[in-house]
Amino acid sequence: MGCFSNVKEWKSFRLVKSRAELKSTFSAKIQIHVEALEILLQGLCGVHRERLRIHEMCLKSGPNLGLVASEVRLLCDLEQPEPAWTVKHVGGAMRGAGAEQISVLVRTMVESKASKNVLRVFYALGYKLDHELLRVGFAFHFQRGAQITITVSSVNKMLKLHATDEAVPVTPGIQLVEVTAPASSENYTEVVAAMSSFCEYLAPLLHLSKPGVSTGVVPTAAAAAASLMSDGGGTTL
Amino acid sequence: MPVKWVLHWQPNAGTTVNSQILTEVSQCVEGINGVKEGRWKATLTFYRPMLREQANMAEFPRDFLGISLPEQPNKYYFVIRGQRLVLEADLTIQTIMERLQSYKARVALNFEGFQYQLGDFQLRVGKVVPNHAESLRGILMEVEYLPISSWDKSHQIMEEFFDIWQEALSKRSLPGHFVHIEPSFGEFGLSEQYTSQHTAIQYASIVAQMIATAQSAQSVRN
Repeated sequence: MGCFSNVKEWKSFRLVKSRAELKSTFSAKIQIHVEALEILLQGLCGVHRERLRIHEMCLKSGPNLGLVASEVRLLCDLEQPEPAWTVKHVGGAMRGAGAEQISVLVRTMVESKASKNVLRVFYALGYKLDHELLRVGFAFHFQRGAQITITVSSVNKMLKLHATDEAVPVTPGIQLVEVTAPASSENYTEVVAAMSSFCEYLAPLLHLSKPGVSTGVVPTAAAAAASLMSDGGGTTL
Repeated sequence: MPVKWVLHWQPNAGTTVNSQILTEVSQCVEGINGVKEGRWKATLTFYRPMLREQANMAEFPRDFLGISLPEQPNKYYFVIRGQRLVLEADLTIQTIMERLQSYKARVALNFEGFQYQLGDFQLRVGKVVPNHAESLRGILMEVEYLPISSWDKSHQIMEEFFDIWQEALSKRSLPGHFVHIEPSFGEFGLSEQYTSQHTAIQYASIVAQMIATAQSAQSVRN
């Protein structure tokens, strides 16, 4: 069940510095958890997972453009037969005492599909590439009190400009789990409740928190993951 | 998608476009048995960069346009003609531009009028008016040939129709004529299979032509 194919390989790893050994063990644990998470989500969501391979480019306005600086994201879905582009603008987060009470981050977001030369258009308008990432993993889209999307992905950086075939993980062995749902100003409390309720089902494996707030590792996660893996998800957690 | 030529009215030197010409053009379409169907409307918006004082204006495009077309109610088009760029996006791209606040929508032009069916052709005749004014700035016509979607293959029949149309119109002795500009779609990265992006480029070219004509008329008067 570990990441090594045979004992000989494992032994050669033992000869390497302990830090490297620890790292590989840690990676194995995360890898097991991801597979367990996938099984759990498959059972919870009742839909098939979708593969995720998104090239995300974050553009910022060049100097002097706009009275305030602005930022826009271009997402290229590499899983489609033809690369499919989306322009995304993420606005400010909801603030104040009300926002602090809520367990999820609420912020405005506008998306638009766009044809393939959208990057050239934004460059022509005076935007510059600030950074780019490649997210690789999977996603579930389902309805459970709200239209919820959960993505599990590794975040990768490109060593050369736009070289998505040569991306390496930003934090090896660590995956990003994100749960999002669209909401309007009229219904966001119901959507927040639906998301929080769904996230409770993930508690055996992981705790989700507002972006920027660390939650640490679930102490019983390894046991829960092993249980999920051993009987292919038949276990009730 | 069927091929479309977008024509604009070029007034004779020293004359301006007026609503009587529009009436005559519409009557001419009906005279060649065009069947009036309904109204149509397209819009074109000029976007201007919001720059801080020390900015060099030349670095930013002055010809950044947004276009909405009636045949694509869920789409919006951007054209930066000088750089041969055209973009097709969802309507929400307008909201994104508003949120970015790097470019502001300034003047908008409406193209509106009636649509006619004439055999395999669909014609639209429209006036060009600024969004918040009634003054007629131009006359525009769309000629769409429904059976063909290849720009190259359609050329002959479109030319023939254009000749017939010009001849019918010439009998009314109007002070001007329709012009067809043929943009180099390939320079915009488009194939010869016709799409709404081709239409957006034709609109952008026509507006550029109208501005150039108005500016040269202005300089003659000055």
